[in-house]
Parts: sequence; C-alpha cells; structure tokens
Amino acid sequence: MGGLSNAAYLFIVAVGLSLVFGALRVINMAHGSLYMIAAFVTVVVANRLGLALGFWVGLLAAVIVTGAVGVLIEIVVLRRVYREEHLIQLLGTYAVTLIVAGAVRIIFGSNYRTMSPPQLFSGSLSLAGYRYSVYSLFMIGAAIMIAVGVNLMLYRTALGRNIRAAVSDSELLSASGVNVARLFTTVFAIGAGLAALGGVIVAPSQAVGTSMDSDVLVLAFAISVIGGLGSIIGSAVGAVLVGEIYSFGLVNPYTNQFALAFVFIIMTAVLTIRPWGLFGRAEQ
Amino acid sequence: MFRLTKLFAVATAGALLAVACGGGNNTTTSSFKGTKKVGYSGALSGQSQLYGHAISQGLKLGIDDINAKGGVNGYKLEPDIQDDTTDVAKAKDNTTQLILQDNVAVLFGPVTSAQCAATSPVAKQNKVITIAATCNSFQLTTEPDLLNPYWVSIVPNTYMEGNAAGNLVAKLGVKKIFIVSPKYLFGTSETNAFVASLKKAAPTASFTFNDPATWYVPFPTNPRWDATLTAIQGFGPDLVYSNIFAADQVNFVKQALLVNPQWFQKYPMTTLSSIDDFNALGASYPLGMHAYMRAPFFALSNSKMDDFVKRYHDKYNEYPSDWAVMDYDAIQVWAQAANKAGTFDSDKVLKQIVGHSFASLRGYSFTIRPGDQQANVGETVGTTADSAGKYPFPILKDYTNLKGDQLIMPVTLMTELQQGKCEKNGDPKTTDFANCPSWKT
Repeated sequence: MGGLSNAAYLFIVAVGLSLVFGALRVINMAHGSLYMIAAFVTVVVANRLGLALGFWVGLLAAVIVTGAVGVLIEIVVLRRVYREEHLIQLLGTYAVTLIVAGAVRIIFGSNYRTMSPPQLFSGSLSLAGYRYSVYSLFMIGAAIMIAVGVNLMLYRTALGRNIRAAVSDSELLSASGVNVARLFTTVFAIGAGLAALGGVIVAPSQAVGTSMDSDVLVLAFAISVIGGLGSIIGSAVGAVLVGEIYSFGLVNPYTNQFALAFVFIIMTAVLTIRPWGLFGRAEQ
Repeated sequence: MFRLTKLFAVATAGALLAVACGGGNNTTTSSFKGTKKVGYSGALSGQSQLYGHAISQGLKLGIDDINAKGGVNGYKLEPDIQDDTTDVAKAKDNTTQLILQDNVAVLFGPVTSAQCAATSPVAKQNKVITIAATCNSFQLTTEPDLLNPYWVSIVPNTYMEGNAAGNLVAKLGVKKIFIVSPKYLFGTSETNAFVASLKKAAPTASFTFNDPATWYVPFPTNPRWDATLTAIQGFGPDLVYSNIFAADQVNFVKQALLVNPQWFQKYPMTTLSSIDDFNALGASYPLGMHAYMRAPFFALSNSKMDDFVKRYHDKYNEYPSDWAVMDYDAIQVWAQAANKAGTFDSDKVLKQIVGHSFASLRGYSFTIRPGDQQANVGETVGTTADSAGKYPFPILKDYTNLKGDQLIMPVTLMTELQQGKCEKNGDPKTTDFANCPSWKT
C-alpha cells in the first residue's frame, strides 16, 4: 500500500510528462515547475479559505493558474523550438525551470508551507493489521481516475483522435485542416493540468517548498523512460514499478542500501534492452 | 530514446555549470578602508533550504552589526552567499569559487556534513578559515583523512548530540526502539553515537532495535514516507528515534498524522529538531515529542538573545532558528579574532580563536579547545508543548540546557580517533568512537 500511494502521485506527474512528449516530441523539463506552482497555489488558497472549501477551490485555482502558465510557456518558448534538435528544446525548458524557481522563491519565500487535507479524506482505516491514511487511498483513487480519464480522452474524443494523429504525422494532420498549433497548445495545457493535479494532490501530505520541482522530476522522468515516453499505460506500469520497488527496497534489510539505486538499475536495463521503454514505440 | 536521455544529462550538467559561473564585484565605501567578503555556500534550495535560508539571514544580521561597529580591521564586511542546492558537488564548486575568484576572508560551513566533508579539503588547501555552525559530524574534526587545521566547530557535534539523545532516552525506560536516519555521514555518525551512548547510559537494559540495515533512508529523501510508517507499525516500538530533519521531518510528521492523529502518542518519538521544523508545521507539530535542539532561542533567553530575536523578527518577520543563532555567533567569533589579530591572515586569526573564549547569544561563553577546535557548546533537551499563543509554533517544556562540558568528547577519545585507533581492520570507513579503546573501557 505504501508503494502504491508513492506510485500514485508519481504517475499523475509522469503521465503529463509522457503525454506532452508523445504529442509534441518535447521533453518538458519545466513539468516539475508546473507541479510546484500548483502545490503553492493550493496551499495559499486552502489556508485562506479553511478546511471546508479550501482544498477544492485550491484545486480549481491551481489547475487554472498552472494551465495558463503552461499555455504561456508553450506559446513563448516551445513554439520557437519545435523544429530544433532535442538539446535546444531541453535547454529552453530548463531555462523555464530556473525562471520559475526564482519567481516562486520571490513570491512565496523560502520557508515550507503546509496545509491540512480536506475533511472528506481525513482519518484512517485498518487493513491487515496496519493503519493507512484515507488520504493515501484518495491519492491512489485519484491516480486511477486520471489514468482512465486520460485514456478516454485519447481514445474516445475528437481531441484524442487529433492528438494521436499528430503523434503519427503532424504535417498530414495540418494538411487535413486541423489547426496543429492550437492542438499543441491544448496538449501542453492538458499536460500542465496533469502536473497541477499532481501538485494539488501531494500538497496536503507533504512540505510544499521550492525544491519540489527537481525532487519529482527525476523520478517522473525515470518512470516515463521505463514505461515508454508517450505511453499512458507505460507511465502507469512504470509508476507502480518505481513506487513498489523503492518502498519494498527501503524496508527490506537486504535491499535497503540499494532502494533508490534499484529504480535506476531498472531504468538502465530498460534503456539497454528496449530503449523505447516497456510500452513505448521505437522511433522510425 | 536513449539518445534523449543522454541529451537530458548533458543539458542538465551544462545548465548547472552555467549557474555555477556567477561572480561578484568588490565595492568600497568611503568610511571604510575597503571591503572584505565573507563567504557562505549553503542550501538556499533543495532538501535543506529551510536551514540555509536561516543561516544566511543570521550571517547578514551579524555582518550588519559588525559593520555598524566599524567593521573588521577597518574594512566593511560584505556577505558573499552562494546556493549549493543541497548538492555536494555544487558546494565544492561554490567553495572553490568563493576562495579563488571572490577572495573571501573567511568561510562559514554549509548545512550538511556531506557538503562540509567535501568543502573542508578545498578550504584547507587554500588556508581559509571555516567556521562550522550547522554541519556537525565529529569526523570533520577527528577523522585523520579530514583533519583541517583551519576548521573550527561551534555547533554541538554528533558525538555531543548523540550523547544528549542517548542519555535522554535512557531515562525513558523504553526497550523497543525503531531508528530512522538519513543515509550519509551525519546520519550514521549521530545514530552510532546515540546507540553507543544509550547502551553506556543503561548498561543493564536490553534494547531491541529494528534491523540496523533498515535504520537509514536514502538522502536526499523521497518525500513519501509510507513505507517507513508501515514498517514502524509492523515493528511496534516503544519509541522512534530519528535525526531526520528539514523537509524530511516535516513530511514524516505530516504523513504520520494522516495515518493516525494520535501517531506520536502511540509511537513516542525522540528527535533532533529546530525552530525551523517547528515553524514549518506550526500548530500541527506534535506535542509530547522528546526533542533535542542546538540553540532554541526561547530556552536560552538572556538580554543579548532577546535583543537579537527582536531585531531578527523585525527585519525578517520570522523567528530565528537555531541555525541563525549559531551562525550569528560564528561571524562574531571570527570578527572578534580578526580584530584582535589586526590582520586577515588565517594563521594569525586562528591563533586568536583556538584556546580562546567567546561570549555568545546562547547566554554563556564557549571555548574553542585545541586538538579538534571544537567549542564546548550546549544542547537543549525537552518535550514539545503548546506555547499558549506566544509563538506560532510549540516550545519545549521541562527543558534542560545541557552544558557543553558535560557533552564534549573526552580528549583521550578525540586523540584516539585522530590517531586512527578507532577503525576496524584499519579501514577508515569503519571509524567510530565506539571502537576506540578508551570508550570500550
């Protein structure tokens, strides 16, 4: 159960990273920054409005603010580098992370901020002799709902059809009359929204600080690489693998020393044997 | 895809290098002979940012006070503060830059022992005094490979803290203890000191610990503590001993309280703590925790401290943490010694530090003893309690300010450590004071 709640928040963040790469072919280093912005917005709104409404209004505010920042990043930065090589794209989005980190520090300060979970998800329950927080179960449930939602969006909507078409051949899609620039902005905003949901969901259970962006990005990236960049199911499997391996490794005397190393050993093994990830597709 | 991963690594490294290439300019003011920079490379971001932030504020206030009194040897002091992002390699790079490029007159130690162990050799090579007021592994002043004649420690080291915690727990009458600690020099050093002193303080007691192989968590740590919380429940301890700190402690406490609002009543905890940890959690910091702290202002009240707290609060709109207090003391030590020496020459300033006593905000004078250049500073132990609205965080009740002379490592032990007599099979990595001949007897 500990591993699953770990996996849940990592999945929510990784799936956005993966979706953006799948459609836009951009590794968005600023994804962690969007996650951090959302966490700060949630804490500020929640602490101002109190337990009853705070979290939910915070969620709404965080998704709107982060989505808007995402749109801004896509228009100002990414549109200029889509046709550039990946190194330029990486540097462009990395520059955004530095700008956001500085801005967040100026706006919110260096101290950690904390908030309480919504009343609906406070409390705990017993399972096989152990107590687990209801909030952890909510995180797992939210991750499952998001996985289903993203899958439905991709395979049951016109937008999803266009996104999949853009992944296959964006030029052909453009020739068929679809405004690909607007589609890319929409995809990036959805990716930002997913990062925001990750930030919102972790905010009540951990310290919200200015290092959250880099803390989450490394593991989210490992998950995306293991599962396959661009694959939603791959993100889910990767998140469960990373969450469980790390948690199991930590409490087992024989593996404690290597808990974190295991994650990267698996990532290396996947890159060696199947460089496009467990559920990814090899680039032509 | 593999190529992308490599690109990612190259881009990240390049960006970090670019950040590391900042510089500074010398400025002078008319009322001073010139300006001297004092350097601090610390965690202004990353896992330990909470502490690095407080240290930089304490140093800046100290510098303001020194400048208001005419500076040092007629020179105005200027803070040169670099962010190491809680990263060891960055700390080392920053220190090199501070010394070679910015020409700082003195350095103040980074937050974690890992960074201090990496930066000490750089400072030693360049003969720049470092005053450590936060990183505190006793190995920094006793391990033969790390010995640095220009390193001065005015923070209770891990031997002293481990002993404070061990003696505190020995009085609680607990038998079954779950240990959780960060896996790096500080964590292993302090945990070993805790266990050794606990066993020495209660020689007839029989303690059961969780498997020593599970005492440590990777550092910097994953923000989710679910696995450790489940392991604690499975073990069912009388007490949890921890020296996790900053974001880790905040996350651990928050997640434990989500599992069970009465978690800390069910599993009482003895932990290293600080005003920063109290402040981050505010009213939700658990009451009844057995905390040991380095310099909590509310327990060390005196006219100098009270004045400092007021001015610090007025300036920064927050209460000074232990780290701010100790680094304020640190810069006063150096300024006083440099003024007395009449020079910035490290060897001459050092002669005015080692073997000398200094007044502190902590309400007592401490002395930097020769040998390990460790100050006999105290530690405060107590139980967290409601501050009744006085502060936005808890305070300690029934606290004791342990005296530095009670805690400081015996000279014989220090000498044995420095002579490499406390290793197993001659392996420096196994160095531990519990292996020293004098400790065993």
